[in-house]
Amino acid sequence: MWNRAPDVSPNLRIDCGVERRINSRTSPKFVSGFFETLVAPFGFSLPTQGLLGQLNLTQGVYDLISEHKRLQFASVTQLAQAVSDLDSLKIALLQMDSEEFAIWCGLGKNNSRDGLLTLIHEIDQALVRVREARVKVDFEEYRPGPKALVDSLTQLALTGVACDVKQIKKAWPQSGRKPLTPKWKSRIGSVRVCEGTGTLIEVSSMEYTFLVKWKGAARTRIDVGILRNHLVLDLGGVRRFLELPAACSRMESIKARVSLDSIEIDFMVNEKEWPRS
Amino acid sequence: MTDENEGAHGANDLGSWLTSMGAPESITDLMPSEITGLDLAPLIAMLGGVGVRSGVRNAGDSEQLADSIKWLPLDRS
Repeated sequence: MWNRAPDVSPNLRIDCGVERRINSRTSPKFVSGFFETLVAPFGFSLPTQGLLGQLNLTQGVYDLISEHKRLQFASVTQLAQAVSDLDSLKIALLQMDSEEFAIWCGLGKNNSRDGLLTLIHEIDQALVRVREARVKVDFEEYRPGPKALVDSLTQLALTGVACDVKQIKKAWPQSGRKPLTPKWKSRIGSVRVCEGTGTLIEVSSMEYTFLVKWKGAARTRIDVGILRNHLVLDLGGVRRFLELPAACSRMESIKARVSLDSIEIDFMVNEKEWPRS
Repeated sequence: MTDENEGAHGANDLGSWLTSMGAPESITDLMPSEITGLDLAPLIAMLGGVGVRSGVRNAGDSEQLADSIKWLPLDRS
């Protein structure tokens, strides 16, 4: 729906595990502008309450869509949750851009759809920017145990954001903690970013499998769901949304399988939805 | 929820809803019937709540949202 390539700013640096110094409660202008544009013509007081009420927008999402060159998060977990919320917000906005909404805007009542598309584009840009950021972890304030560290790095990896493993291994002893054992060093080093967009594979004329490669998937306690035309991967509340091929909307999702290096979702053709000539 | 919004619950299609919102009845004559006859349910879902939630999912939440996530049974190997 938005064909323009996102403008990437590769210079973002994110520090995790330090006290926040930036005022994160200042909403960027385009966010407040969008809501004003959307709300006023409809005459509703808060039409986005259901969409946004559960999103933790003051906990870092605004930071991610700001134009700051350097951001600070209290922990890796908090950064992962913020990226997840930003992704959720984008999905919610994509759903708002329904046919009915477009028709209503097309009646000449307002420019809400332009605002909606602008916001979605800005979020796309922010997601690209944060996924290309240099993430540095500091253990002076936030001192997780090795397992909690691996879990949070895995959550961050699910959102598509990578950490520099060498930097983490170097920063750990400086925090005064017990040295990382070879086991935990190996676990930290084996965390891989979930980069795949997924592939639809025909198993038979009636059965298809959507495969997402993610090294180490089997070591996680991931949940898998479907939301309209998106696959939802949920790891302890941190979510990644992957767009499914259009054909999946005419099929019924049956079950998911998690193996060592992949997540597979079985689909069955629903002939009622997809009559063949 | 405002009075205007409550009016949406009494209308099943876009044309009726526009009229209930104060638009002149002639507005429906200006639009093709397939548009005025559009089901309002998705729009109401949009205004009332779309099931995209962050944080830990609440399995005990009995609230039924129009666009809630369908969680799949999982085989772990």
